[in-house]
This record gives sequence, C-alpha cells and structure tokens, in this order.
Amino acid sequence: MASHGVPRVAETAQRTEAQRLEEERQIREYRDLEELISAKIAERQYTLEVLELTSKLLKKNPEYYTIWNVRRRLLIYGLFSKPSDSSSHLTASPNSSLTDTTKASSENSSSSTITTSGASTTTPQNPAFPNRGRNGTTLDLIRGDLEFLFPIMVKYPKCYWLWNYRLWLLQEANESLESDIARELWNRELILVGKMLVKDSRNFHGWGYRRKVVSELESPKLGGRSMVESEFEYTTKMIHGDKGLSNFSAWHRRSKLIPRLLDERNASDETRRQFLDDEFELIISAMYTDSYPYQQSAWFYYQFLMTTLTDYVGHGSITPNFTPEDRAEYVTRQLVILKDMLDGAEDCKWIYNALIDYTMALCRMEERKPDLDERQDCATWLAELRKLDPDRSGRWDDLEKSLRD
Amino acid sequence: MSLVSGPGRAGGNALPDELQLVIEPHVKYIQSLDTRKDELEYWLTEHLRLNGLYWGLNALHLLNRPDALPRKETIDFVLSCQADNGGFGAAPGHDAHLLYTASAVQILAMVDGIGELEKRGKEGGAMAVGKYIADLQNRETGTFAGDEWGEEDTRFICCAFVGLSLLKLLNLVDLDKAVDYIVSCANFDGGYGVAPGAESHSGQIFACCAALTIARRLDKVDKDKLGMWLSERQVEGGGLNGRPEKLEDVCYSWWVSSSLSMIGRLHWIDGGKLSRFILNCQDPENGGLADRPGDMVDVFHTNFGLAGLALLEFDGLEEVDAAYCMPKKVVERVLGPEYYNYS
Repeated sequence: MASHGVPRVAETAQRTEAQRLEEERQIREYRDLEELISAKIAERQYTLEVLELTSKLLKKNPEYYTIWNVRRRLLIYGLFSKPSDSSSHLTASPNSSLTDTTKASSENSSSSTITTSGASTTTPQNPAFPNRGRNGTTLDLIRGDLEFLFPIMVKYPKCYWLWNYRLWLLQEANESLESDIARELWNRELILVGKMLVKDSRNFHGWGYRRKVVSELESPKLGGRSMVESEFEYTTKMIHGDKGLSNFSAWHRRSKLIPRLLDERNASDETRRQFLDDEFELIISAMYTDSYPYQQSAWFYYQFLMTTLTDYVGHGSITPNFTPEDRAEYVTRQLVILKDMLDGAEDCKWIYNALIDYTMALCRMEERKPDLDERQDCATWLAELRKLDPDRSGRWDDLEKSLRD
Repeated sequence: MSLVSGPGRAGGNALPDELQLVIEPHVKYIQSLDTRKDELEYWLTEHLRLNGLYWGLNALHLLNRPDALPRKETIDFVLSCQADNGGFGAAPGHDAHLLYTASAVQILAMVDGIGELEKRGKEGGAMAVGKYIADLQNRETGTFAGDEWGEEDTRFICCAFVGLSLLKLLNLVDLDKAVDYIVSCANFDGGYGVAPGAESHSGQIFACCAALTIARRLDKVDKDKLGMWLSERQVEGGGLNGRPEKLEDVCYSWWVSSSLSMIGRLHWIDGGKLSRFILNCQDPENGGLADRPGDMVDVFHTNFGLAGLALLEFDGLEEVDAAYCMPKKVVERVLGPEYYNYS
C-alpha cells in the first residue's frame, strides 16, 4: 500500500537517458508478460507453462491480486485435475476463464466454488478430487506453490494477498488430499509463521495466520486436539523475546487464551486464584524493571486483568466464582500496590490513571459514592495527569466531570 | 490515477515556522498522477488504480477543487473497471473485489454519477452492484468476504455498508447479523481486530465504527474504553500510531481521529499538535503528503492526511464525514438532509 517509510534518497534527480531507456525496457517486459498471460488464459491454456509465467509476474509484483486469482483458476480448473504429465493443453470449463466470477462467493470453502462451476465439459475428472492420495500432482503442486510463496512473503510480509493465497492453498489441500497429508502441510505452517514472527514480532498478518493455522490443527477433520497449552507457552516465550514486554500482540493473544486454558485444565477455584496472582505478579514485576511502567503494552495487559475483576460480565473471566467481596478485596489490594509503585515513578501518568479508574470501579462494585479521602485522592491524581499529559486534556476534563457526578 | 510515490518529499526542516496548508501544489500533484506512465511504478501499482482515483478525487473535493479532474473521463474510467458480475476491479480487466467496488460507488457519488450505472453500467444497474456486494455476506456469521475466494476481514463489512448505503440498497443484507459479528470482534480494550480473537488495530476500528455508524448501532461500542485506547495513539510529536508502541503515520491521522469523532471523543487528543504533524508531512513545493516528515509522498497519504485536517476543521478545507471519508456535502446530497438529523 503506497509508500510507507520510504525515505527519499536523493533530491528529485532527473533520470539519465540510459536510466530512462532502461525503465522503458522494464515496463515493456512487464506489460508483455501481462499480455502473454492474458492471451494464454483466453485460449484456456491451463498449463504448467502458464503457471510459470504467473510466477514470473508475481515475483515482480506480488500485489497483483488478479494474477493470484488466475493462478487459483489454473490450479483448480486445470492442473489439479491432470495426470503428472501436465504439458498437454486441456480445455477447461467454458465458465472458468479469467473473467469467471459468477460463483457463489459468500461461501468460504473453495471446494464449493469448484463444484458450482459447471464441470460439464471435457475436463477429464471431477476437478474437486482428482488425486486424492499420497502421490498425486495436486500435492506436488501445492507443495511447490507453498515453497514458491515463502521467499516472497519474507520480502513482502505485509502483503494481504500473499497470506490470503497461502491460506487458500492449504484449504485446497484439506479438500483434495488425505487428512494426514494435509495435516503435515499445516504443521509446517506453524514453523513458517513462527519464523515470520521472529522477523517481526508485531506483524498482525502473522498473528492472524497463526490463529488460523492453530485452529485448523485443532480441528477434528485433521484429527487435531487442543493446542491451548502450547500456544500459551508461546506467548510466554514471545513476552520474554526481543520486543519483550512491549510486544502487545503477545499480551493480547495471552488474554484470549487464558479463559480457555483454565477451562480446559478444569482448574479449581484455588488454582484460578493462584493463576490470577501469578499473572499480576508477572506484569507488576515487569513494570518494576527497566522502563516498563512507562510502556503502554504492560498497562493494557494490566487493564485486561483488572477488567476480569471489575467488568466481569461479558469478558472471559479468570476467576468466575469470585464473590463480590473477593473482587473488591483484589481491587483494593491492587490500589495499594499502585500507590507503592508511585514511589520513584512520580512522573508516570499510567499509575495515576489506573489509580483513578480503579478507585471509581471499586465504588461502583461496592455500590457506593466515593468517600471524602477517595475524592481528594482522585482530585490530586487528576491534577498530576493534567500536568504530565496535557495533550489529552479533553479526556481529563471529561474524567473530572465524571468524578463530580 | 497513478499510485507512484514522489516526486515530492515531505518537508520537515525546510518549512517556515508558521506552518501552512499548501493547496495549489496538492491539486497539481494529484492532477499529474495519471501522466506518469513512463515510470515502472505506475504499472506496478495498477492493482490500486480505482482506490487511487477515490483518494485523489476525495482530496480534491476536500481542497474545494471538485472539478480538478474531468468528470466524464472519471465516470468512463470507473465504468470500465466493472466486471460482468456487477462488482468492480482495480483497473479494466482486473477481478472484482469489495475494496474497489466501494471506491467505485464513492467516486460515482462524489461526481453525482450513480445514475450512470443505470445508463451505462452492467445489466441491472445499481442493483447489479448491490447484489454483487450482498452475495458476499456470509449469511451464517454476518461478516463479508472480499471476493469470491472467501477472505474475511472486518474491513469488508465497512466496504459493503459504504457501497450499499450510498446505493440505498442496505436492505439487501442482514444488518443485525453483521452488527453481531462486529460485536464479536470487540476486545477488552474496547477495540476491534480483523476477526474475532484478533488484536485491536486502528484501521479495523475505523472499519467497525464506520459500519456501526452506517447501521446506526454505535450503542454497541464501549466508548470510554475505546476512546482511551485511541487517544493513547497520539505520540509525543503529535502524530498518531495504529497500535501500542508503533510508529506514527499520517494515515492514522484519519483512522484514529475519525473513530474518535464517531464516538464523540475527538477532543481526547491534541488537535493542534496533530495538525502540525500532518502539515509537516506535506511537500510544500511539489505537493502531496507522506507517512512521516522526510518520506516520499503518495496519493494514499495525501488523502488521509487532508481528511484528518478536514476532520479537525482546518481552515480552508471542506467538512468531511467521519464514516464515509467523503465530503459531508456529498453524503448529504446522496442520502438526504435527514441523514445528519438522525438522533
């Protein structure tokens, strides 16, 4: 998408004549390739040769989504259905040309797209399940394509179409290969996405892809079972990784896994209480080290933990059987910890903000108005917030109003 | 419309103390974009052409220069991108996708050309476009796929609602289900991600808030929590980032502040500081805006930077609608004055 973070190297230098000619040549080459693919597809040449041509083009321009779609059609209407000798020219269904976009599109599974495409022609086999088994060309093609994609993804890790195409390939594998073979492919994806997240531990495409891969590997159709324990461990590893505690992507994932993790462990009330204590301990000790009390990722995770106590309806809870008194006790304890934390971090706005939020939350939980001390404390903390963070003065104005009500 | 970046570079040190919005250079920059066919990048960005036309045209409208691109050629180009299934691709011959279909409808709305769909569009006119969009709804979950290949993302709900509402065909889809789906994407921090379980991201938050605005269901948003998270996107220098601990970028001047505006909390950030950051991303001589001062300008950041300024009611810019990212005037002309009188 456009140019993100591309510094301008030299002042709008005029191209030399040689550079101009070279660029002209590159444009010609690129457009010739485009036209060649178009012409071959118009002739319904669904061959490996054309697949190669699309590879060449996509290496030059991985954002060219229509060519990724051409590639999908080459595979499902031609190549997947062929015997291993795939040099012959097959006539595909007349509907499946470049412009065939008539299929029911709200359906997720690409197998449904295949079966509705009207296999009424000379295509030799039902293209949906041509080579169900271990040695078919379908597996080779999928494997080959996954390998082709990897270096492009490393180079363009934020290109939506790449992640999307990759997922489509694997879903094709689910449809046309035996489940143990498909599972093997998905397993390798977990390693791949691990590598991608090592390169950029905040890449949200990567985290999203990981979620999908895991949910496939857990699914009964691939003979899977829950991976919540290993995924939880993964977030622990990431939190202690390069971006460390400022890796909010990892904290976020952790927040989503915890309720399920405890359910699947059949955790007792006592275990859950201990779990919550440990998570508080983890985040608070993090805040005491390095510069973390000033980093917002840690505070948002802290907010998550507090939310399970204060807004316990509607959010995955850690301690569902806590009584209102238990909850109030925990919040009170946190208020003490926060006040202690101010010592030496008097310039940390996050602490003041948390103190006000959770003092007010405690009053709501106990269905009472703030007492005089609490009101005075809040006023003092609010004054600090205004001083430390004048950019958000409009927010502090609204907060002040809400304190008055 | 070219998506080629440059030639300009955003200022940073050469700007005078008193920052100004340059208008004429931006207009010229956008007008020049389609003349750069001798650059390889022009061809490499063809997959964004229709979006690019929307970005450029919207920027021109906000600059009060709606006629700076020729109307007839604009409509001709949009219609040339329509596929047989009613949807629009990025350029002629490219496959239809919701991302471009929404841009096509927005462009037609801006040039008062929606009626051209009946006259010169594919058979079925506006209804063909509406049906294309409606067929992409997953009727079980309520969400939308981007195209026939099934990728789902909350951005596509926004594209669908923008397109359908401007065509007055929202009745073709199950709004309640789509709204429920958006609610299922909400996180503890009040934000939204690409799908249930995904991390909050300002771009997705914009998409979800815009969809909820159009569906009149902003009551579903936890406005204080979301407002707090969004306001923390403003960094020291005044710019906004998209997620915690990321770099600021001019495009988030739009995604974040429009979301804050939709939930009534735009005053939770420092608008003056943000304006200065955006102005610093201009190339005052050659026109255009970049993601950050010192980087290459492009039409994407030009649009979203100017839209951010317009939202902050910067002097000399048209009022912008936070959900549609189009001039309010246009939205009002298409949807009628009652759209803004809704309570």
